[in-house]
Amino acid sequence: MAPDPDAALMLAFQEGDETAFRALFEKYGHAMVAFCNRFVRDAARAEELAQDVFLKLHRTAGRYRPEARFRTYLYRIASNHCLNELRRGEYGVLRARDAGGSEPADPDALPGGAATPEQAAEGAALATAVQALLDGLPAKQRAAFVLCRFEGLTYEEIAEALETTVSAVKSLVHRATVAAALALAPFGAIARKEAVP
Amino acid sequence: MSHPVADLTALLDGALAPERRRDVEAHLAACAACRAERDRIASALAAVAALPPPPAPAPGLEQRFYVRLARESDRPSLLGRVGALRWRVLAPIAGAGAAAALAVGIAVRHRAAEADLARNLDLLENYELVASLGAAETAEDVEVVAHLHELPEGRP
Repeated sequence: MAPDPDAALMLAFQEGDETAFRALFEKYGHAMVAFCNRFVRDAARAEELAQDVFLKLHRTAGRYRPEARFRTYLYRIASNHCLNELRRGEYGVLRARDAGGSEPADPDALPGGAATPEQAAEGAALATAVQALLDGLPAKQRAAFVLCRFEGLTYEEIAEALETTVSAVKSLVHRATVAAALALAPFGAIARKEAVP
Repeated sequence: MSHPVADLTALLDGALAPERRRDVEAHLAACAACRAERDRIASALAAVAALPPPPAPAPGLEQRFYVRLARESDRPSLLGRVGALRWRVLAPIAGAGAAAALAVGIAVRHRAAEADLARNLDLLENYELVASLGAAETAEDVEVVAHLHELPEGRP
């Protein structure tokens, strides 16, 4: 396994180096909020969940063993937390408060860095369709799909994060992706168009 | 070979073992139905990849986390820990004997917490942010936050 600089930071934090923890927060804080947002569709609640994840990481740092890659370890905590949140059933219905709950860095910028209002509208429609897709997936398929498609984890890493087998992950990711193919068929043309230079 | 539909996503993700990948690719070369299904999945993956990035959290994410960490800690509250630093921060500007005695007392009580807070002190130097979080409850707290930047570099 390649050296894991994040694991080294976590070990330094175990030794009492608070700046090492801050480096990990700086690296993963925003990604963790985005990850949680895929489950709750509520910017404020997503941040709260991400904070919970880092609080747990901070408090239970002594349990970390460098045999696990740090990123996988972090996503295991986060996946468990978000799946528990889904089990509580508070997010079955679309909340009125959506991505707009977060202040954009530039209030005049188009969402997602789109160049034109048309692109922004297409991007927003796609985001809505993806969110509807995620909401319709069983919880474990959703987690596997998010970890694979948005967080870029390998099947092996997802298996570790979800505490299951690679074979099970392959099946979860495939079923979720087939559902995506059905739900996002109208957007395939857009994606192909954008891929053309 | 039966239609390897269940392997098509893993094929596109590069997650099949080499031997299995060769078998599936050989099947695809001869099976239009499986090629169509592969293309349908690939199209969905391209759509997902074209998704705009999620909105960034509001500014101050790290500060909000550390304020919460301090609040939820078993150790003294954030303001208690800020209070432990008052002596260092306000001594040059306060100078009142009674206040100094109080600060020394707090400092002794919270020495470990003080060191921990000091490591993250720069996060609390944003006066407006701390005020907006409601962490500064009294005029004295506000004064402390407003003067945090006066601490010298290389502070503990």
